[in-house]
Amino acid sequence: MSLTTAPTAVETPRPRRRSYGRYVVGKVAGSVGSLAFVLVVNFFLFRVLPGDPARTLGRGRFSTAEQLAEFNKTYALDQSLPQQFVTYVKNTLTGDLGISLKYRVPVSDLILDRMWPTLLLVGTSTILAAVIGVWLGIRGAWKRGGAFDKVSTGSSLTLYSMPEWWLGLLLIAVFAVGWGPIPGIFPTGGLHSVEADPGTLSGVLDTAWHLTLPVITLTLAYLAEYSLIMRSSLLDELGEDYLTTARAKGLRDITVRNRHAVPNALLPTTTVIALSMGYIVAGAITIETVFSIPGLGLLGVEALEVPDYWVLQGTFMVASAGVIFANLVANLLYGLLDPRVRT
Amino acid sequence: MSAAEHEATDEHPVRLSARQLARRRRRESFMRGWRTFRRNRSGMLGLVVLGLFAFIALAAPLLASAEGLEVTKATGGVLEPPSSEYWLGTDDQGRSVLTLLIWGARISLFVGLAATVISMVIGTLVGLISGYSSGWSAAVLFRLTEWFLVIPFLPLAIVLATVLGRSLFNIALVIGVTSWPSTALLIRSQTLSIKERAYIERARVLGAGRWHQIRKHVLPNVMPMVFANTTLTVAIAILAETTLSFLGLGDPTRVSWGSMLEDAFQVGAITTGAWWFIVPPGVCVVLVVLAFTLVGQALEEVLNPRLKGR
Amino acid sequence: MLACLTPGIALSGAAAPANAADDTTFVVGMTNEVDSFNPFLGIEASSFESYALTYDLMVGYSMKDMSPEPALATKWSTTADGLTWTFDIRSGVKWNDGQDLTARDIAYTYTRVLDGDGAYWLPYLNGVETVTAPDDTTVVLKMKTPSSSLPLLPIPILPEHIWKDVSQDEMKSYAAEPQDGQPVVGSGPFTLVEGTAGGSTYRFEANPDYWQGAPHIDEVVIRVFKSDDPMVQALIKGEIDFAEDISPLQVKSLQDQPGVTAHNAMTPNFAEIGFNTGSIDTETGKPIGDPNPAVMDPKFRHALGYAMDLDQIIDKVYQGAGQAGDSIIPPPYFDYRWEPSADEAFTFDLDKAGQLLDEAGYTKGSDGLRTMPDGSPIGTLRLAARSDSAMDVSLNTMDYFKEWLDQLGIKAEVQAYESSKLTSVILDGTFDAFQWGWYVEPDPNTMLSYMTCGQRGDWSDSWYCNKKYDALYEQQQKETDQAKREDEVKQMQQILFEDSPYLVTAYETTGEAVRSDHFACFQPQPDPGGVWLIQYGAHNYINARPADQAGDCDGVTSAIGATEAADSGGVSTGFWVGAGIAALVLVGVGGVVMLRRRSTAGERE
Repeated sequence: MSLTTAPTAVETPRPRRRSYGRYVVGKVAGSVGSLAFVLVVNFFLFRVLPGDPARTLGRGRFSTAEQLAEFNKTYALDQSLPQQFVTYVKNTLTGDLGISLKYRVPVSDLILDRMWPTLLLVGTSTILAAVIGVWLGIRGAWKRGGAFDKVSTGSSLTLYSMPEWWLGLLLIAVFAVGWGPIPGIFPTGGLHSVEADPGTLSGVLDTAWHLTLPVITLTLAYLAEYSLIMRSSLLDELGEDYLTTARAKGLRDITVRNRHAVPNALLPTTTVIALSMGYIVAGAITIETVFSIPGLGLLGVEALEVPDYWVLQGTFMVASAGVIFANLVANLLYGLLDPRVRT
Repeated sequence: MSAAEHEATDEHPVRLSARQLARRRRRESFMRGWRTFRRNRSGMLGLVVLGLFAFIALAAPLLASAEGLEVTKATGGVLEPPSSEYWLGTDDQGRSVLTLLIWGARISLFVGLAATVISMVIGTLVGLISGYSSGWSAAVLFRLTEWFLVIPFLPLAIVLATVLGRSLFNIALVIGVTSWPSTALLIRSQTLSIKERAYIERARVLGAGRWHQIRKHVLPNVMPMVFANTTLTVAIAILAETTLSFLGLGDPTRVSWGSMLEDAFQVGAITTGAWWFIVPPGVCVVLVVLAFTLVGQALEEVLNPRLKGR
Repeated sequence: MLACLTPGIALSGAAAPANAADDTTFVVGMTNEVDSFNPFLGIEASSFESYALTYDLMVGYSMKDMSPEPALATKWSTTADGLTWTFDIRSGVKWNDGQDLTARDIAYTYTRVLDGDGAYWLPYLNGVETVTAPDDTTVVLKMKTPSSSLPLLPIPILPEHIWKDVSQDEMKSYAAEPQDGQPVVGSGPFTLVEGTAGGSTYRFEANPDYWQGAPHIDEVVIRVFKSDDPMVQALIKGEIDFAEDISPLQVKSLQDQPGVTAHNAMTPNFAEIGFNTGSIDTETGKPIGDPNPAVMDPKFRHALGYAMDLDQIIDKVYQGAGQAGDSIIPPPYFDYRWEPSADEAFTFDLDKAGQLLDEAGYTKGSDGLRTMPDGSPIGTLRLAARSDSAMDVSLNTMDYFKEWLDQLGIKAEVQAYESSKLTSVILDGTFDAFQWGWYVEPDPNTMLSYMTCGQRGDWSDSWYCNKKYDALYEQQQKETDQAKREDEVKQMQQILFEDSPYLVTAYETTGEAVRSDHFACFQPQPDPGGVWLIQYGAHNYINARPADQAGDCDGVTSAIGATEAADSGGVSTGFWVGAGIAALVLVGVGGVVMLRRRSTAGERE
């Protein structure tokens, strides 16, 4: 993905126009296919992990071969691989994601528990980044070459080149620990203070306070890419003929920009935002690590040590499904707004 | 310049062979491109920075003794602040941070480049074939690309790194194998648009085989785009290596900028205020990635005149 | 949710990091997560801490040296042949739901372990045939064979009236967590009111009717951090009161912190370099894997004991926090521990190492490299290190070892593995040496068992097998005479020292830090020099109290008293300053946005 060329439609447009309905069906079918592919990859990928969960978990628990066999039997690890696969597919389709080898609770419970901090963190950051990034991009493209544009583009490029977790470490060091005259006022990590009850209003505010630095970090990390893409797609758009026509007709600059150029330029930007879901997931993992937020990203990383197959499959599935879903939404939106794409 | 060209003057026009013509044309377009590139200030800046880091990486043994990397030979105190003896202070094992930084440049750059090569080779091949061919092989490759694009990068990379084991090559392999889809898509759309061009039709009618066409016509036209995309891919690959090392998946026997930050985080550099351990590696990563990005952007500008003046 | 996030920042006075001394909530920071609140399933340190808080033991552990002392059992006796143990159980103990705790609950719990439910606890009931409760205040253990590890029984006692409804199948995933607001039924000093496996906050409320007396603090909260640094920061800011398992560097940096007391506590952990003394297929007895023949020779291994500068390892690898090691029974267990005499003990003497190698036939060839006694090259020794050890202890120790081997004329290379991968490598026998460590329980039986022939392919990672050692092991396991048993255990350690399947490198410490300006009266276990929390028993949770109420800590002189209180006013001020700035920024941004919108509206045609 380049930063100066906005992504064009994924498939080259052909002369025939199809209806939106058939487009939707096509896209949904594609998504289901992707999900199926992920399901298969998911299963085999983790079976190749080194280490034997019975031994890893058994250190300190099992002292006889019978107990090991018992463990394997309980978690169906002694079945043949194809057999396990069939069971896995059946279970997943009915919503049973298995039992965590480490915690001995249903994986779906674990995922539901840990999902909302991740969603809160990532969702808030993405929305903020999209809004601010788009605004920055528009502003920069409109007054191209001006002081604002130079500063904004320069900072965006720098932020884009920065590992987001390093930014997080710096922010912690300066604003949570304190450096020189700057007081360390933010919490250094975690989701809420010990006394706060997350259900009450003060608890909610407390959670928000704890999420401030992480959200700032991720927002800065995400908005860099969005502002650059928005800027370049708007610049693309601004060179188009129809805008010259619009200006010739006497429309004011700002109307031309907001009514015509921006909406058209927004389309590729939304595609980028959807396609960057993978990057968003990565951000969740690293920021949760740095700020000690008990979310989904961290759950997956920790499950690698065992390896806790079902948790790994579950989190991986959720992450992939999230990306597929975001792609689907972006595609559907794009298809709705730009009929050229509905091939 | 060949002897034949040297003799060419207005009085004695020399007939150049097809290959010589092609070469001259290519050189002229290269010079043109270079002049455009030169005018892009940020691109030049990026190039200079890259040159600096390349020099540091290559000249590492001259700039800092390799012994400085060995834990058993460390002479400094633990996490000492910068002093005249250790310009950037020491790490938690008593080694000079500056030495680690210099040698770390090698690993970070090497892994980034190796991963990029793998990624570009796979991506270009897949992109070319799926763009140029018609029929089920192209469709399958395209679907495969889309599917791979959907799987989030970091979880997949973490799992693969755990499976393959932690070595320099494996990390490069992991990054390469997880980042080819976007390149493939780009190459594919380029190929698709080139495919429609007239001279390809002509070549096909004349009976040229598929691979011949790809090699002679499609590839040269796609290569500039590939080249520009490569620089941007390196930037991403270096960021990926740094992140994977930070998460503890890098080669444990090698020092890279990412592993330095991992050490800093594990050892509590924030608590002890050891800024000389946290800040320099990150700054280096930012500089290198930024430099590659600026150069890549400038290259895109060279190839796509529409972008000039951004 | 989003709407109240933005203005909320300026208003969240209630959410300011509270000074934990205002109420008596004791917050413990750990980097270890509870894997299960079900005592039959959990294996993590924080899980055990939770059991200590919420359940009682029949026999407790002393603070001085972890030897048995009365808990639910007031006294006990055994027959001369050691085949019958009788415990007198105190009366008047209640479960937190009001029911009485009787000997039947104890018998029920132990019987379930014997029936196969709590595999982890089974070794402690080694040799036990039946556990019965003839009446409400007596528990009788009938043994098949005597067991010398009794009466050490760290098994949490569970309420029969609750757990009898959990079948053996259900037990495998029974969570034992608070549900629908109902706390878990236990008899311990605290009650689990909130928490779930894999979660990050666990809340325990004091049990005012606890039979030892109500705790001095109202609530204990365990907070899980994903890494050390944020945890130490939280301690400094007063968000938590205790930080568990921090690095020596962090302990050092906390020495000057007002209001905080930090130390490197002695633990019964040791680190070792283990060798592959002969990996075999346990069913056929045929060798498997590919150990280097040199490391299978005890003389070779023992010679290498003189090639280790343990002081440098402690200094450089462990940052000075630790003690040079020798035997597998660490210093806290001085009754059982054997120490080599002055001329037996290893010293760092490369010349002596070389000499011993020469005598064993591993002489240097013309290229400076040592060869096997038959003249063939030794080859390169594979040193397996764990890539995920804290402070890179494993990698660094092996780096040093490799260098010393090099100086002796033996080539070696360090190979890094994840812990789970290393387990497979060890079981496959594809290594020559590895670096790991063990935690040794108060009764040496378990640790000693790991070196028996029967544990090969299971817990024995050195594949060591010595008939004499095994014979002594059987003997001490049934030994009813304490003095004889100690002697047998010491003999076993001596055998291990001579054969050197392990070269014990260090006795490790763990770093702890506490807000001594908030809470006081933590007694180390063992006393002195041991840890303040994560102990055997919940002693310190019961006795800890707010610093200003410390007094003389009930006469325990080794407990932490109070130091001057830290000034925490600055936190609140800083918080309001920051909140004000944040509010201004948001107002500014909001205002700009509003202005733009208004101007655009004005331009609409």
